[in-house]
Order: sequence, then structure tokens, then C-alpha cells
Amino acid sequence: MFKISLNIIACFKWVVDHEDIKVNPETNELVLDRAGYRISDYDRFAIEEAVALSEQYGGSTTAVTVGFPAAKKSLKDALARGPEKAIFINDPAFANLEPSQTAAILAQSINNQEFDLIICGEGSGDLYAQQVGPRLAEHLNIPCASFVRKITIEGRELIAERRVDEGIEIISMPLPALVTVLPEINSPRVPGLKDTLAASKKPVVEITGSDLEETVPCLETVEIKATTMERNCEKFDANEDDLKRFVEVLLRAGVID
Amino acid sequence: MAGVWVFAENYEHGLELLQIGRSLADKTGVELTAFACGDKEVGQQYIYYGAHQVFILPPLAEDQPLETYVPAIAEVARQEDPDIFLFAATLRGKEIAARVAARLNTGLCSECIELDIKDNKLEMKRVLYGGAALQTIICKTRPQMATIPVHTFTSVTDLDNTRQGIIKEFDPISSTPVKVRDRQPRAQESGDITRSRVLVCVGRGVEKEEDLKLARELAEILGGDLACTRPIAEELHWMPQETYIGLSGQTVKPELYIGLGISGQIQHTTGIRDSRIICTINKDEDAPIFKISDYGIVGDLYKVVPFLSQELARLKKK
Repeated sequence: MFKISLNIIACFKWVVDHEDIKVNPETNELVLDRAGYRISDYDRFAIEEAVALSEQYGGSTTAVTVGFPAAKKSLKDALARGPEKAIFINDPAFANLEPSQTAAILAQSINNQEFDLIICGEGSGDLYAQQVGPRLAEHLNIPCASFVRKITIEGRELIAERRVDEGIEIISMPLPALVTVLPEINSPRVPGLKDTLAASKKPVVEITGSDLEETVPCLETVEIKATTMERNCEKFDANEDDLKRFVEVLLRAGVID
Repeated sequence: MAGVWVFAENYEHGLELLQIGRSLADKTGVELTAFACGDKEVGQQYIYYGAHQVFILPPLAEDQPLETYVPAIAEVARQEDPDIFLFAATLRGKEIAARVAARLNTGLCSECIELDIKDNKLEMKRVLYGGAALQTIICKTRPQMATIPVHTFTSVTDLDNTRQGIIKEFDPISSTPVKVRDRQPRAQESGDITRSRVLVCVGRGVEKEEDLKLARELAEILGGDLACTRPIAEELHWMPQETYIGLSGQTVKPELYIGLGISGQIQHTTGIRDSRIICTINKDEDAPIFKISDYGIVGDLYKVVPFLSQELARLKKK
């Protein structure tokens, strides 16, 4: 195949693992201090797609994350998934950024890099606001396609199959461009021992908050509470009597006729 | 005219936004403006349904995506400075809203499920952490923006075709480098599960693809539709993408939801929280889904489901 050589940037976020989130039953507040962190599931697809495209068309992948110092742990995991290098945009103030800030910080950091394509996950595993990709494209003034499930490159054009509410739209756009990808786009490889060992030797460029212009939040959180779902929680066994009683309950509730 | 603005890519979602938009506009004593995409008749209808003003965006060339409107929408918002700007959270609506917000340097509440005016500020709620938490936020910059999931609000109903309003038509819009090469409508086989009255939903507890017919039979007898969890659609490809319920899939609110072999991960259950009655069939008594179910049957779905189908069919005949 004709080699095009693509410089691809894959953005990822180090997010709290929500399986680990506990709730204080008295205040209904979240207890996050013992929660673990992981690369946002959605971003694994972004990294995989970047690596797969650079393998297919030639080129290299840079993994980029914005985070607080503890997110350093994410770099080895990200690099084990195939990118050649990583950029860690790191500051203690970057712990609870909102999408407008993350996009502005990424834009400032990426602006002087050479790139052909930026790939983001469709949303993040914690906020799932789905804004950073499209906002970043606006900051960089490059074309954008969201919710993409297939990417091909034809010369300097990117062809994407994207989901829209009525079905699929196939679009083309010139590079450089940005796409946000859906989980259906690929099956991320699982790094092996060799990949993990190789990852520790790969270069990491660190950018700190002092290298960048300050960003100001637009949103203010009034409160965060655990969601509650109050339900009857009535249990039935699988014997005939119980199942008949179950059907009666539904009849009485008026949900079946 | 500033006030409350709403943008939806189609008429139906436009009517839903007019409902909430009107209530916010009335509470703050401002006017309501709606965008209509390329269709003057739609704009006229929005006025009959209560918009004070409509912006008619020009029709797009066949090869232009909906996002071509982004610069025009952002520009008029910059000039007229609305207080509140709501977008229907369709897939394209979410991208457009994020890009308009970036151009206006303002905050955006994604997939806002509740909104109200408190101290003259828009207070918005959305879920975080896969549905485990509810966040309340305000936006300190202008306009205060939010995307609203479709069907969060009912449509406006009080049509008055004597209502007058201002209709502003936009100049033609310059094309973008993004070109649409082809459009493939969704396969007809998958209905719209967000409108189903009864949903039977299958999870990983269903062992083989052919076993879906057990669930389908139950759904048919109940006059409902079949839905699934994410892995069934995305990993196993047994059912179409449009039929999976969850945070990144569909949000449903049927009268009756019956989950078969579903453990109850938060990403799934957040999509069913507004169902009227939630039932579960699972052989694992400790499955988390029982905690959020109204009625749970602890048992083997391969025995329970055929029995229920038979029993319901028998009752129906009577």
C-alpha cells in the first residue's frame, strides 16, 4: 500500500474508576479518596485507532493527556498501547477541569506540534460531556467529524463513517482534521509484557501549567450527589405460584393488558 | 431580542425545546427564539407554538453537513447575546452545541436532564461517573448553554395559528471543507425504542443469539419491543446499535421494562431510570439490578421466560 505517513495525536484522559466510587449513606455524597484511576475506556479506542492508522498508512502516534501529577501513572499504560511518544500536560491545578478548559489547554499545547490528525474518544468516562473533541477542533480551526465508526485515508483526505440520528453519514474532509470515535470502531489490543517494557523507554514530553496561558472555568458546580433509584425491590421465586403472582402484580399496575 | 434561544435539527425535537424554552422565558420575563433549519414552514409553526421570533437558516447544498451552520449560529449569538441557548442533544446537535460554545467562549451543560431558574440563573442537572452521581451546575458566562436529550420534555401542545412573530431569514452560508459523500438511513428493522411502552431487554445472561427468540416472544405478547445492553449490540453484534440502552446508547422511559439476564451496571441502569416499572429476571440473587427493580424474579430465564410467555398468552385468550 502507498505510504502516506501520518502524524497522529490521540488524546486520552486519566479518570476515576467509577466502580470504586463509594457513597456516604448519611450525606449522599461521593467518597472518591480511595478510588483507583484508569485510562478512560472511550479513549482506548482513540489510541488504538491512531496506532492502527499509523501502522496501516505509515507515520507515528503521539498520546496526549491533560491531568494532575498523579496522572503520570497513565503514561506507561498509554504508551504500551502502541504510541511512539507521549505529551503530559501536567499541573496540580488540572485535577477538575471542565471541557472548555481541557480543550483550551490541549489547543495551546498541540498548536506548535506538527500533526495530520487528532483522534479523541466520543466522551470521557467520568464527565462524558462529549465536548473536548469538537471544542478543540474549533480552537485549532480544523474540520471535525464526531461519533465516527470507520476511518480511511485517501491522499490528504480523510473519509469517515459517522453516526447521525437517522443512520450513517459518510463524509470527507481535508487533513489536518479531528475525529471523535465510537467504541464500535475497533477492538483495542491488550498490551503484553513486551509492550509494557518497551513503553518505559519511550519519550515523554512534559508541559506544565506555567508554560500555558491560564484558563478560567465557565461553569460552577453547585453540588454533586449520588443518584438514588427508589424502587419496590420485591423479589419473586421461579416457582409457578410466584410467577403467577408476578403476572397479577403487573396486571394490577396496569402495565399489561 | 436576546432571551431564550433553542436549536433542534428537526421539527419534532424543536417542539420539545419550545416547551422547556417557553417555561424558562416566562419565568425570566424574556422572549423565546427558535432556529429552523432550511424550512420557513417549520419556522411559522414554531411561532404558532409560542416562539416570539424564528431564525430561518438557509437550506444547505446536498453535500453539506448540518454542522455547516456552526459559524452562522455562533455569529448571530455573538451579536445578539442571548441569556440562555438550548440545543437538542441529537448526535449532530451535541457537536454543534460544543462548537458554538467554543466560539462564544462559554460553558455548556451536556445532556442536561433538569433545568430551572434560581436567583435569575439557569440551574442545570446532569449525570456524572456513568450515572452514579447527579451534578448541579450553573454557567457563569453568557449565553448559559445546555444540550437537552431528546424526549426529556414533552412537546408543546397549545397551537395558536393566529400568533404573530418575527421571522428572520439568514443569508446563504459559505460551504465547509467537510463534504457529505453519502447518507445511509438506519435499517427499518430497528424501531425507535425510546417510544416503546413495553421493553424486554436482554443482557449477557442470554447465552446464544438464537435464544433472543425467547425474549422476542415475550416482547410480542406484551405488545412491546426488544432492546439490549451494550455488549449485545457492540461486542456480539446480535442486535442493532440503535437498540442498546445505556449512557452512551438510548435512554428509555417505558411503562414496563423487563430485563433478562442483566447484572445492572450503572451505565445501563442510568438509561432506564425513568421507566415506570422495572422488572428483572436473573438467576444471580445478588445481581445489583435487583436493588433498582420494582419486581425481581430470581430464577433461570430459560425456564421463567417461556412460562411467562405462555401464561400471558393464556390470559390474553381469555
